[in-house]
Amino acid sequence: MTDTLTRSADSPAEIVQRADVGPDAALQSSVEDAAPVPRTRPRSGVSGSLIAGIGLVVLIALWVLAVRVLRVPPYILPAPEAVLKALWSGLAIDPASPKGYYLPLWSTLSNAATGFAIGSALGLLLGSLMAESRWVEKLLMPYAFALQSLPKVAIAPLVVIWFGFGDGSKIAIAALLSFFPVLINSFTGLRAAEPEKLDLMRSLSATRFETYRIVKLPNAAPFIFAGLDMAVVYALLGAIVAEFLGAQQGMGVVITQAQAVSDVAGVFAALVILGVLGIVLHSSVRRLEHRVVHWAHRGKR
Amino acid sequence: MATPQVSREGHAPRGRPLIDIQRVSKTYVTASSGSVHALNKVDLEIADGEFVCVVGPSGCGKSTLLRMLAGLDTYDGGTLSLDRQPVTGPSGKVGVVFQAANLLPWLTVRENVRLPLRVGGRHEAADARIDGLLDMAGLGDFGRRYPYELSGGMQQRAGICRALARDPQILLMDEPFGALDALTRERMNMELQRIWQANRKTILLITHSISEAIFLGDRVVVMSARPGRVLADLEVPIPRPRSFDTIVSHPRYAALASEIRGLLNAQETTPND
Repeated sequence: MTDTLTRSADSPAEIVQRADVGPDAALQSSVEDAAPVPRTRPRSGVSGSLIAGIGLVVLIALWVLAVRVLRVPPYILPAPEAVLKALWSGLAIDPASPKGYYLPLWSTLSNAATGFAIGSALGLLLGSLMAESRWVEKLLMPYAFALQSLPKVAIAPLVVIWFGFGDGSKIAIAALLSFFPVLINSFTGLRAAEPEKLDLMRSLSATRFETYRIVKLPNAAPFIFAGLDMAVVYALLGAIVAEFLGAQQGMGVVITQAQAVSDVAGVFAALVILGVLGIVLHSSVRRLEHRVVHWAHRGKR
Repeated sequence: MATPQVSREGHAPRGRPLIDIQRVSKTYVTASSGSVHALNKVDLEIADGEFVCVVGPSGCGKSTLLRMLAGLDTYDGGTLSLDRQPVTGPSGKVGVVFQAANLLPWLTVRENVRLPLRVGGRHEAADARIDGLLDMAGLGDFGRRYPYELSGGMQQRAGICRALARDPQILLMDEPFGALDALTRERMNMELQRIWQANRKTILLITHSISEAIFLGDRVVVMSARPGRVLADLEVPIPRPRSFDTIVSHPRYAALASEIRGLLNAQETTPND
């Protein structure tokens, strides 16, 4: 979060401009702006995806080494090709087949997404109320932290009792887990608006809601996205934890079933899918953030 | 310069004061240093159409004075009125130009300039007015850019446009060019002089720069160290439009500059209470 704060600090002398703006644009002051800086800066070092790729190769090499040379038994660590085979059998299949990954994946994803939407919306709503009113803050903040300090895995059985073994409990736990990071981050971000910007709105006799919508909320956007980034992964986690406790379908069920028949490769395959899913969700949030909060990423594009 | 060569001399600025500050005092309480006596019986009258610059040592309360006029700060003694109405809070009579532009980075330049109209809910004829302001400030081609794509000088020009959006009678400027380099600053001073001559606003500008104050002001008000009070109120009898090339050779320039510098230096050596 400190990263976001330093990023938003203004450096007024910075000139970031395209060369195609001619001197006809400005009047006498064109000289002032006549130092165009190329927008695309040369990147130093290697790209992020290359580093990630190298990491993956090294990881798999170590894995192969462990299985082949150290002879780790397959019920502890299955060979990569066994996991690959399990993955393939679940993926290269009719999407409607109950044996494939598609149906459970869809079930888990849709529950996680619903829970994420509910939890984030509530987090933003309560975070906003707390940021706007000291009274609400004093009233709710202790409970928010009390809730956060409870181990969610311990509450999960309770939630299952309340919401049953259907989708309800999965959505509820996903929402519960997404709620807190969005709550705290939006609260922090909304309170972090610079006093000069609030003075500007006051000098214009802006209403409270105008100040919230025009200054505080956009100002909090980088914080809120940091919260959403965590929340989206937590929501997935929450949905799967709920499935472990009992469900008709879902990736959690796939893992429990594979475990029941000591299909360690099957467990690994499901974990690989969940890991990839986590990366995809995280990077989609980041991509969305870069689109929405473009001003905070200037010069980094 | 393509602007009309209007001389402000003989304008006789001593009409009814548009800004009327009488014996205004201010004491505020801080967590670290207890109560601070910021302003002590400040008297200042500014006529309609006048350009007044305020210089003073750091922390002399000149920014506080400006914030009071903008309705952002309270005062606890004396009277403060704009156009004969006491200041009770922010009003549409004033536009504020903040330090370092203070643009909203998530809005385009155009949206930033339009902000005062959007907030007031006044949308009528807004587009033409905003275009006119942007053109006047040489930002006509930059309306769709974001502030971070502009240089510091251009950002502050957008800040001035924003302050003018509601067409206020008074422009309050709090060290608007303090963050700019010296050359850009001179250029911005030229621009501001031109904008002022074209718009006929009453301007109160706070600055640390003596040359900026003399260049821009009809009058230069020198304030004392805390608690701030008016030490001197000096007329600048240099005809307009002024330029930095010629102003330094004007016979009154050097005398004024050294007088102001002398007043400010005397403040530095005076022990604070």
